[in-house]
Amino acid sequence: MASRFWTQGGSDTEEEESDFEDEIENVGAAETTGTAAGSRYLQANASDSDDSDGQKRVVRSAKDKRFEEMTVTVDQMKNAMKINDWVSLQESFDKINKQLEKVMRVTESDRVPNLYIKCLIMLEDFLAEALANKEAKKKMSSSNHKALNSMKQKLKKNNKQYEELINKYRENPESEEDKHEDEDEDEESDGSGSEFEDPSQLGESTDEEDETEEPDDDAADGAWEKKLSKKDKLMDREFKKDPSEITWDTVNKKFKEVVAARGRKGTGRFEQVEQLTFLTKVAKTPAQKLEILFSVISAQFDVNPGLSGHMPINVWKKCVQNMLVILDILVQYPNIVVDDMVEPDENETQKGADYNGTIRVWGNLVAFLERIDNEFFKSLQCIDPHTREYVERLRDEPMFLVLAQNVQEYLERVDDLKSAAKVALRCVELIYYKPQEVYDAMRKLAELSEAADGEKDCDEPKVEESRGPSAFVVTPELVSRKPTFPENSRSLMDILVSLIYKNGDERTKARAMLCDIYHHALFDEFSIARDLLLMSHLQDNIQHMDVSTQILFNRAMAQVGLCAFRVGLIAEGHGCLSELYSGGRVKELLAQGVSQSRYHEKTPEQERLERRRQMPYHMHINLELLEAVHLICAMLLEVPNMASNTLDSKRKIISKTFRRLLEVSERQTFTGPPENVRDHVMAATRALCKGDFQKAFDVINSLDVWKLLRNQENVLEMLKAKIKEEALRTYLFTYCSSYESLSLDQLTKMFDLTEAQTHSIVSQMMINEELHASWDQPTRCIVFHDVEHSRLQALAFQLTEKLSVLAESNERAVEARIGGGGLDLPLRRRDNQEYAAGPAAVGGRWQDFTFTQGRQGTSGRSGYSAGGRPLALGQAAAAGYSRDRSGKSRGTGGYYGRTGSGMRGSQMDASARMVSLNRGVRG
Amino acid sequence: MASYDLTPQIAPNLDRHLVFPLLEFLQERQLHPDEQILKAKIELLNKTNMVDYAMDIHKSLYHTDDVPQDMIERRAEVVARLKALEDAAAPLVSFLQNPNAVQELRADKHYNLQMLNDRYQIGPDQIEALYQYAKFQFECGNYSGAADYLYQYRALCTNSERGLSALWGKLAAEILMQNWDIALEELNRLKEIIDSKSFSSPLNQVQSRIWLMHWSLFIFFNHENGRTQIIDLFNQEKYLNAIQTSSPHLLRYLATAFIVNKRRRPQFKDFIKVIQQEQCSYKDPITEFLTCVYFYYDFDGAQKKMRECEEVILNDPFLGKRVEEGNFSTVPLRDEFLENARLFIFETYCRIHQRIDMGIFMCSKGAC
Repeated sequence: MASRFWTQGGSDTEEEESDFEDEIENVGAAETTGTAAGSRYLQANASDSDDSDGQKRVVRSAKDKRFEEMTVTVDQMKNAMKINDWVSLQESFDKINKQLEKVMRVTESDRVPNLYIKCLIMLEDFLAEALANKEAKKKMSSSNHKALNSMKQKLKKNNKQYEELINKYRENPESEEDKHEDEDEDEESDGSGSEFEDPSQLGESTDEEDETEEPDDDAADGAWEKKLSKKDKLMDREFKKDPSEITWDTVNKKFKEVVAARGRKGTGRFEQVEQLTFLTKVAKTPAQKLEILFSVISAQFDVNPGLSGHMPINVWKKCVQNMLVILDILVQYPNIVVDDMVEPDENETQKGADYNGTIRVWGNLVAFLERIDNEFFKSLQCIDPHTREYVERLRDEPMFLVLAQNVQEYLERVDDLKSAAKVALRCVELIYYKPQEVYDAMRKLAELSEAADGEKDCDEPKVEESRGPSAFVVTPELVSRKPTFPENSRSLMDILVSLIYKNGDERTKARAMLCDIYHHALFDEFSIARDLLLMSHLQDNIQHMDVSTQILFNRAMAQVGLCAFRVGLIAEGHGCLSELYSGGRVKELLAQGVSQSRYHEKTPEQERLERRRQMPYHMHINLELLEAVHLICAMLLEVPNMASNTLDSKRKIISKTFRRLLEVSERQTFTGPPENVRDHVMAATRALCKGDFQKAFDVINSLDVWKLLRNQENVLEMLKAKIKEEALRTYLFTYCSSYESLSLDQLTKMFDLTEAQTHSIVSQMMINEELHASWDQPTRCIVFHDVEHSRLQALAFQLTEKLSVLAESNERAVEARIGGGGLDLPLRRRDNQEYAAGPAAVGGRWQDFTFTQGRQGTSGRSGYSAGGRPLALGQAAAAGYSRDRSGKSRGTGGYYGRTGSGMRGSQMDASARMVSLNRGVRG
Repeated sequence: MASYDLTPQIAPNLDRHLVFPLLEFLQERQLHPDEQILKAKIELLNKTNMVDYAMDIHKSLYHTDDVPQDMIERRAEVVARLKALEDAAAPLVSFLQNPNAVQELRADKHYNLQMLNDRYQIGPDQIEALYQYAKFQFECGNYSGAADYLYQYRALCTNSERGLSALWGKLAAEILMQNWDIALEELNRLKEIIDSKSFSSPLNQVQSRIWLMHWSLFIFFNHENGRTQIIDLFNQEKYLNAIQTSSPHLLRYLATAFIVNKRRRPQFKDFIKVIQQEQCSYKDPITEFLTCVYFYYDFDGAQKKMRECEEVILNDPFLGKRVEEGNFSTVPLRDEFLENARLFIFETYCRIHQRIDMGIFMCSKGAC
């Protein structure tokens, strides 16, 4: 009831009050009078059925309180006027100014409440009266007189700000007032960021409200648009009554005000964007427009506060458009420089379009661009990939590419190549994983959307024109709104990547290199990808890089592995993939899903981090294909290996993962028909062990992952040939003791190979001393020599082997001592690290394998080195001048030919040791 | 057989003057139309000062006696410039031609410079002039003069960059004069500098190595000891890396050297791996021959490749050097190569065979 008392003085509030009464009666029949009385001013709240929403009520009543305070002050002033007490009047005036500030902040409006204006008018009138009445003036006490004079000055100064409003009010107190009140209320309800409607409008706008309540983005957007139009009207009133009156200063002041409100409690994020957008239209100079645009974009980024969610898509699009406008301005006025290093002068942006010198504006294009890209990435992470929405979202990619290309172009023009490289990297990261077909589709889409955009563009400006006044600074669309793509994704990659290599910083270069490798691998250029990988020495220091780069590295390695398989390099493929599968955490390493570990629980914090770095679905590497390729590679290497040393198969293992799987499958009492990839490969292994290549191939051929390969036929053809070869070798290893001689013709027939191939394979085995046999040329037969070691010989062999191990470990110890002791330490530390280090550690070890793989080169199977020692030496030597390409360059020292395919296993061991040695030397 | 011609790959890594011998050879072998080669020669000469020679070629190419005006102008210009340089370098040249004066020079460079400055008024300007004069002489085709001056310049110069250039110039001059022993010395000196010097970027160093290797081809295939030394040089890690990175075609020469050298077996095994690895970036019959014998054990294929190798060797300016003996002209390297290649095949063949039918073997291996 207090309010009723306080508002006695103001006739307008009286009216208003009665209005409310009606409304409350209309709307709130069910509501108790208590609530109605308690919240006279809270018409929105009163009408709202959702009373339980406490927070909003708090906001509202705070606002109310301010208004009440103000009313009290006005009354006090009235009283003071009656007794002609200028001293207290002056005090009250100061007080009301302070209160005004508060009210404005709470309501977030930029329009002054009518109450205040009325008060001003009253004061003005009274002051004029007092000044005119000379006699009364003379009678005043000195303090009163002094107060009068100061009041006169203050009021004059103060009223200047509100001149327009005062005049308006004077002209048409009643009608203006009503309208104002109405809108004021609207304003208030918007201002608090709530979605409640004025009760008077409730009837008309129920549909709107329905929409608002839907969680749907679009609907929210609709509501938002409607609100802005009101906001615009408001802005109009303030700025647009007389365009000539708007000066740089007013705009600047308003701008500062809006920006200052950023981040404050109760500041509506959408509203702020809208206010700023409006300001861009009234900006007086290009530089000012630019400055405000930067703030618009910042405000747009603020719209979504959380780290996990993504920016609303329509805001994102607007953001991109704003960036393009910024570029337009920058192109149009080349003398404007964007910089975030120096704080420009306060009035730097006052310099007009015709100013010739450089104008500095604070801002950072690259940071904005990266943020936009991140938001795009995040949105793809969040959206369910199986919905239409996801596809729709992917269609926005060309839009971003346009922006990136334009920004890059601009940066190159202003010679900021370092930043240009960063931008180029963003482009590269959007393109590298796309096979040519996808790339072509994207190009087509870009062209199509260009046409569609053209139409929309024609419409859009009109809408804007009608909404607001035409902007002072008109910016023509100077930068192209259409991305330019070369025919071939490779050529685009080449252009971007070479720019980055020239100008980028370490991380940018490393990432670009990885993308480059991935892309080469995608296009079946194994040798180039391998050379790049080895020459860049990325493997050496990938574990020191950030997690997302490590993921990229893992992805690149997986792709290189697939590529090696496709071109028929089985050993290389296995080398690339085996490490990825050794921990059973493929999903995690490739960031393609969260794998649950049985042994240690992840904290929610870790899980959130992990979720944040997931790859969007369209970038995934198919895990089934990857697994199939890995297991088949392992099978092709491991089966002959097992056959060649049946006696101590435990010791020479190429793929532990494969062996484990095989053991599991052998333990089964009953093996059903194969269901998943693993079962298929195991079934094929069983067939291959017996040398039955046809069955092995059939089983593998029945996998449906092969559909995913582009040149499916060739790959399967290659696979068949490889299976035949390995079947032949396995057969010879397994059954050589049963034969005394074997004719070439029969072997050829048995394995469906050409004579030359068979001859070549068998000869290789002979030369490498895997097979104790020789050819008998006249009869075209293989003659087997029975080589039985005596007990003494066998023991001697074992002894030499052990000695060589001993010698080697000794050597290693010496190396570690000489080359710096930090050998075991970093290894152990890495193991103890949590997830973040996971891929790193793997990357590290993994690298080692391919490193040696690379040194082994494309050797296929002929020359695996047998001895640990010479290898170790070679490696140590190589480490010395590793800078130029040593990785790739040399098959390392002494290999004695193959003394049994088991040497493969030992070679792997040796390689692992080699690398830690290597590390010792370097570290 | 022109497809195996490496001149386009090799020429960019050589000095302008060093390309002439290659072109001469090509002209002789008639692999390309004469006209093209003559044009290429003129092209080459345009940037040198051997204008007279260019005029001759022009006449024979277009069968006229007229020479273009710009050539005549250029000739006058060259002569004038030569004169000017000669004058500038005259004090030092006359000093160096005086045997008594030269005896005054000592091993100490600083002393020499001081002495020249004090007694003969020969300062850095004159020394610089000597370098320019030598360079001009070289470009005019007066290699022996250039070599002498450069040698003397090196004794006096203090700038190490210039010293290096002078060394390259000296090497080129010696190669062109076919002084293989001296050239080999210069080559080793240059190699030491390249290996020890710290280059501004590793790329420059690699490039220097590539040049060095290309230039050395002239020496190694003419010097009697060259075939072992080429292995020593090319097969060093750093040089092999350089080959693999930027000029895999040099593998041909290394492969040939390995084949004709019997005593290099341990390194040979490694080398085959390298060839394997580089298959995708470079292959020619010679490297293919090696993969046939040592990787696929495909002896028939090796036979075929061997015949192709013969062609390649005959058409290669470095490998196909002819020796005239009376009326016969032979290519010694070809004979050696074929002999060794057959030996390789036979050796490997025997390792994996228990019994061989000599008759069939003789037939299939042809002239064995």
